[in-house]
Amino acid sequence: MPTLLIVAVSVFVLIRLIPGDPAQLMLGDLATPASLADLRGRLGLDQSLPVQFGIWFGKVLSGDFGQSIASQQAVLPLILQRFSISAQVVLVAVLLASLVAVPAGVIAAWKQNSSLDLSLVTLATLLLSIPTFWLGLLFLLFFGLKLEWLPVVGYVSISENVEAGLLYLLMPIMTLFLHEIGVILRMARASTLEVLRLDYITHARAKGLSEMAVLWRHAFKNAFGPTWTLIGLVLGNLLGGIAVVETVFTIPGLGRLLVDSIFARDYPVIQGCLLFVACTYVLVNLVIDLCYPLFDPRVTAA
Amino acid sequence: MRKTLLVLATAVTGFGFAAGQATATTLRVYLDADIRSTDPGVNRDGNTDGVVLHMVEGLVGYDARGVPKPLLAENIAVSPDGLTYTFKLRADVKFHNGATLTADDVVWSWNRYLNPKTGWRCLTDFNGDVGLKVESVTAVDPLTVTIRINEPSPLFLANIARSDCGMTAITHRSSVKPDGSWDKPIGTGPFKLAEWRRREFVSLARFDDYSNPDSEPDGYVGSKRPLVDEVRFVVISDPATAKAAFIRGDIDILPRLPYSEADELKPNPNITISAQPGLAATTFLLQTRDKLLSNVKLRQAIAAAIDYDELVGSVTYDLATSNSSLVPVASLFHTNVHQNGFRHDPALAKKLLQEAGYKGQTLKITTNKRNQANFDAAIILQAMLEAVGIKAEVEVLEWGVQTDRWQSGKYQIMSFSYSSRMDPALNYEGAVGPKDSQPRKVWEDKMALDALAEVTGEARNEERQKLFDRLHAAMIDQVPLIPLFSTVTAGASRKNVKGFVSNVFGAPLLWEVRKD
Repeated sequence: MPTLLIVAVSVFVLIRLIPGDPAQLMLGDLATPASLADLRGRLGLDQSLPVQFGIWFGKVLSGDFGQSIASQQAVLPLILQRFSISAQVVLVAVLLASLVAVPAGVIAAWKQNSSLDLSLVTLATLLLSIPTFWLGLLFLLFFGLKLEWLPVVGYVSISENVEAGLLYLLMPIMTLFLHEIGVILRMARASTLEVLRLDYITHARAKGLSEMAVLWRHAFKNAFGPTWTLIGLVLGNLLGGIAVVETVFTIPGLGRLLVDSIFARDYPVIQGCLLFVACTYVLVNLVIDLCYPLFDPRVTAA
Repeated sequence: MRKTLLVLATAVTGFGFAAGQATATTLRVYLDADIRSTDPGVNRDGNTDGVVLHMVEGLVGYDARGVPKPLLAENIAVSPDGLTYTFKLRADVKFHNGATLTADDVVWSWNRYLNPKTGWRCLTDFNGDVGLKVESVTAVDPLTVTIRINEPSPLFLANIARSDCGMTAITHRSSVKPDGSWDKPIGTGPFKLAEWRRREFVSLARFDDYSNPDSEPDGYVGSKRPLVDEVRFVVISDPATAKAAFIRGDIDILPRLPYSEADELKPNPNITISAQPGLAATTFLLQTRDKLLSNVKLRQAIAAAIDYDELVGSVTYDLATSNSSLVPVASLFHTNVHQNGFRHDPALAKKLLQEAGYKGQTLKITTNKRNQANFDAAIILQAMLEAVGIKAEVEVLEWGVQTDRWQSGKYQIMSFSYSSRMDPALNYEGAVGPKDSQPRKVWEDKMALDALAEVTGEARNEERQKLFDRLHAAMIDQVPLIPLFSTVTAGASRKNVKGFVSNVFGAPLLWEVRKD
């Protein structure tokens, strides 16, 4: 609750520190002082900030995030709808990236300084360095325009049609997938390298265990902890919005909602989105922490 | 693989992959942002107006040159005292629900607009807050309506036809829910609402019973036949993606595109570019209350430092010509007088700088990147000022922040575009006014204030022309702002789209447009 209050106050104050008036942006340069005053009154923007905050936060506590200034829609259902779209892309991309990057990172560490290791590290650094918008545009140009395999514009919900939905999500998922491979692979490699240098690994080898047994049964379990934490951070970060990818591929997700709302100074939506993102981040990391005992017995013992 | 994907997506989603494979009579039009609502003139922006005005119509609308003419009205009579307007309605005009338009519908619509609870954007222009007040709207007979106002207003018809007022559209009462809140537009326009999927698309279906005026197409009036089964406005936030979709044929029309894109797409044989000078003005605003710029000699020096043909040609890729007047090139009032404007004269600029006592202080040019023309103009201005010895730096702001600065008058030079206004008096009204009460105004000269008040109440065109000429001459002399060009709307359509042309309104007009 105190965390929620701090986040709520910060979000409320910070967004109002940005110059710009929602009423002015809605009415444009054709607005008259009278029409501006009229609209501000109807939006409740003519009241003092503490009063505005009190009304908004009181509603939030009862589960009502208010109404969008721009679209007049209820904010919470709007956020949940957009979040479900972003989550589809993020969860699939991070899952696939983890499945590829973690084994690749472990193998790279195992074969440290070999040509395979160098190739994997170079690839990971390259993928990490490419901005997602640029990678997305390359996909659009190649698979969308040149080969004409995949749709350039539009979105279909997976709940409406699984196959078509996947078709539309393929390029955004691939974009995030490739980018996150770079992030996760480097962490998996670094943490595995660290563990492989420890005495108990030498001891395991001295016992005559096979390299596979040393690597997966002894090294991997200890090395996976930091990588798992990183995956949690990546997931929490991406679930908070993938505005760039959503903009490039015209996906109506949470990130685009937030960015559009900032440009329109749609205060209720911005506040709702940021509060929701903060809660999601905390929740994801809580789940990540709770999963530790599954692969690290020391956590259970502690 | 490719064939499977194409068939699957085309069949299931309605988004065709290649030109010719989409449904033959669906016209796909690019929107850079979603519409705000379907309620005319209430929760709106430019995109909203552009979409909604395909579904609804008002008593009057603008013709292709921006002159208000009867639309749902057959004719309009004004009483000798200028206070009573009598609108004779066209017979047998149908709403989208099949009901016939009557005078009662007009009264109901106007009463709704004039009710503060509706939140009509133009309420204060008609409720007496700024002078004009609609005192009554009365149904005389089923096809006759009278509107009585409190004072003569030559701009009354021009104001009710404004797109930002939703053309004061006449809608059927079933457009609202039982509790009085807005549901969907049941209008008389050539298209009706089929589906609005927020942040994805707005789909309009052809209205088969549209009552088409028997005349040539002429802006918002004249023939407005719906020639395609569906118009689908597709929301695409990223311009690069929109361009890619257009080139591939997933989008049929880009109604507005940056000048650089128009130039780039021009050689493409599958694409037609259409450009039309509009009614908006791209300008530099000079803050006359600034310590430095309060010196008229310095403002005149800045005006003389600009090579207008070079700047406008570069910014618009030669799509526009320079226009130093606030009267748009497309206006009936843009006479030879208004072609005499600021002149590029570096020697004069240097002389004026000396007379102004300029000592090398840095001037700040405020601009934004949302409007590429504003940004490009600011960069070029900086270089031109430097060329005559004026130090200048460019400050790039997010659009909302720049709007805030404009509203509060906190800038020195601002690269700024005014929205389309249908009457030149409204263009001057945007700039002229007292800065104490309205800091966004840029020109507070007494002569200008008086002339503006006079032209706003003047109905005779000859007298109005004289007043516009006087305002223009004074503006050139005092330099409170520097109009650069009447903003050109450049649009692009695929070759299989016939009848699409850009217009002075800067909005897509998709009636009389077909797709082969």
